[in-house]
Amino acid sequence: MRIRRRQLGEWIAAYVLLSPYLFVFLVFNVFAIAYALYLSFTYFDLFSPPRWVGLGNYLYLLRDNLFLQKAVPNTLKYVAVVVPVQTVISLLLAFALDQEIKFRRFFRTLFYVPSVTSSVVISLIFLWLFKKTGVINQLLGLSIDWLTSPTFALPTIMIVNIWATTGTMMVIFLAGLQDIPVTYYEAAMIDGANRWQMLRHITIPLLRPVIFFVVTMGVIGCFQVFDQIYVMTAGGPLDSTTTIAYLIYKWAFQSTTPFMGRASAVAFVLAGMILIVTVIQRRLIERPGEV
Amino acid sequence: MKRFLLLLAVLALAMTACAPAATPTPAVTREVVVTRVEVTREVEKPKATVRLSGWAANPQETALLESLLYRCSLKNPDVVVKYEPITGDYWAKIKTLVASGEEPDIYYMDIFQFPFFVSKGVLVPLDDYMAKSGVKKEDFIKTLIDAFTGPDGKVYGIPKDFNTLALFYNKDLFAQAGIPEPNENWTWDDLKNAARKLSDPAKGIYGLGVPADPGRFPIFVFQNGGRIMTPDFKDTLLDSPEVIEAAKFYTSFRAEKIGAIPADVGVDWQGTGFGQGKLAMVFEGGWLIPYLREQFPNLKWGATFPPKGPKGRGNLIFTVAYVISKNSKNPEAAWKTIECLTSEESQTVVLSTGFALPSRAKLTEHEYFKTHPESLVIFKGAEFGTPFMWGLRGDVVNEQMGKALERIYLEGQDVGASFKQAAEEVRKALKEQQ
Repeated sequence: MRIRRRQLGEWIAAYVLLSPYLFVFLVFNVFAIAYALYLSFTYFDLFSPPRWVGLGNYLYLLRDNLFLQKAVPNTLKYVAVVVPVQTVISLLLAFALDQEIKFRRFFRTLFYVPSVTSSVVISLIFLWLFKKTGVINQLLGLSIDWLTSPTFALPTIMIVNIWATTGTMMVIFLAGLQDIPVTYYEAAMIDGANRWQMLRHITIPLLRPVIFFVVTMGVIGCFQVFDQIYVMTAGGPLDSTTTIAYLIYKWAFQSTTPFMGRASAVAFVLAGMILIVTVIQRRLIERPGEV
Repeated sequence: MKRFLLLLAVLALAMTACAPAATPTPAVTREVVVTRVEVTREVEKPKATVRLSGWAANPQETALLESLLYRCSLKNPDVVVKYEPITGDYWAKIKTLVASGEEPDIYYMDIFQFPFFVSKGVLVPLDDYMAKSGVKKEDFIKTLIDAFTGPDGKVYGIPKDFNTLALFYNKDLFAQAGIPEPNENWTWDDLKNAARKLSDPAKGIYGLGVPADPGRFPIFVFQNGGRIMTPDFKDTLLDSPEVIEAAKFYTSFRAEKIGAIPADVGVDWQGTGFGQGKLAMVFEGGWLIPYLREQFPNLKWGATFPPKGPKGRGNLIFTVAYVISKNSKNPEAAWKTIECLTSEESQTVVLSTGFALPSRAKLTEHEYFKTHPESLVIFKGAEFGTPFMWGLRGDVVNEQMGKALERIYLEGQDVGASFKQAAEEVRKALKEQQ
């Protein structure tokens, strides 16, 4: 009896302490998501009350060319390129800056700076760099319409995003690397392991949870890419940079008649895609490490 | 009243409580009594408060509006106007505000967005207010006031200002090429011949700016006797022979390297390219004038009417009105404010600052135009202009028109095929409109 009463007291205390957060969570997360889910089954133009259309919005997506032929492929391409590239580059940077080199602190700070810079500011700066008469073309001796060509616009945005996020990933990897006890390396050295073997059999396996974290964050961030596109290309030219997240904005807010229901449906499809990819990743990356 | 007194009582308590122990309490109480008398007088003359929102285009325009509001506060002492400019995405903001019933009493309405708002009945019809205060439709430029008239024949917005497109030309480049400057009798052929002589692709100079911009291209359609939409806005005419012919003419400039899109000359907006002397002629509105004055003060330029096409003149009208929200608790006060902001007196002030062209028809005679002929060109453009408005799915029409031009420019698609594709996409969107 006594124990039970004490437990009850603890529960109450816990929930009282949690309540401010829980309130915010319920109102701004649970309620908002539930309402968006409801809206995804309606036709809602903001001015008239939502009208139930069942699966209408989802069925519409299955026959909409902009969604199927532009937004989904563009987003998948974006994820498939940006996530591996930024993960590998940031891992290499982390290895390099984990060594005892000169100006190590300076470089660490330098590579991290883009992460604390506003993405809009970064986008604006790159908008100038990638102009036809801009610095990049001048340096490379080219004359490419980076952002106004349907071929180059998406790769350009990929480059900007890789540049901007690599620093964050690098810091996470650095923390992971420094978490690995030196004793393992010392033991391996005594056993006569070379650097490659140490990397292959100690660093990578012990870094697995960190890699999983970085890749998951990267995948989620890339699936939701929006700001750079909003600022640099507005989804153009010819929809070559229209991604799923941008499509949500376009249908909800750029249309003279807002399509909130359709936009909500896209948001849930996007969430579903992210969930599926994350689950697959978990299977691929985390499991072997745990065994 | 009661609330005020209650508040004062609480305040008095708080003041007493907060007063340092050393301060004699009676002195504080006396102070409070004096305050109470003042507030009671204040409450005897109730003022109606109305909120006004618009986009914040630039500091000068904001200052202009604020000075007009000050004049209006002298005229309507019983109305307090709270100006709440919206920065960022104005339409996303205003639409969500309307959805939650918290929109301002008065707000800016662009003609492009007007059909959706009027179809949803979120605006107050103004005819009765106009009749009561003797404001006549005829006082305003006909195309503008007609544009803000709903399908039911009622007026829902009082146009505040407008813009049309003029042909801006670089005088130095014309002198260098040794050809006469454009005049109002120019035809399409004159435009093309001049562009040919002005262009020097090796130096990066092109005759005419021909952006893939749905806010520029339609004037060629109108000059060719065509339309973008049917009169009831239920179908598009983007695949009609008049449009395709106009598009062939418009895109031929870039194909023959005597015209360019902004990216060709390394700019975001052709106004910049014009200022830099890379584009000898551009079609732009009155907004280009202050820009050139500030950014390129040494540029010698002129402006005239867009050329006549095979079927005569055509132009686009960009216009903004003040509207009153259906949710307004003080529509009378809101109307008084709009009446004052669009009065002849206020509109004369607007005109003389040169930021916008006022909507009152009578002002054509104003002496400002004698010293600013380029503004008169834009003002008079309204006479043969069509409002920049394509119905409830104007966004799709604009988008598809822009894409049709982009496909021709960037992917070399056939003009006819590209515009047919655009028309099909628009029809699909119009059908999807549930």
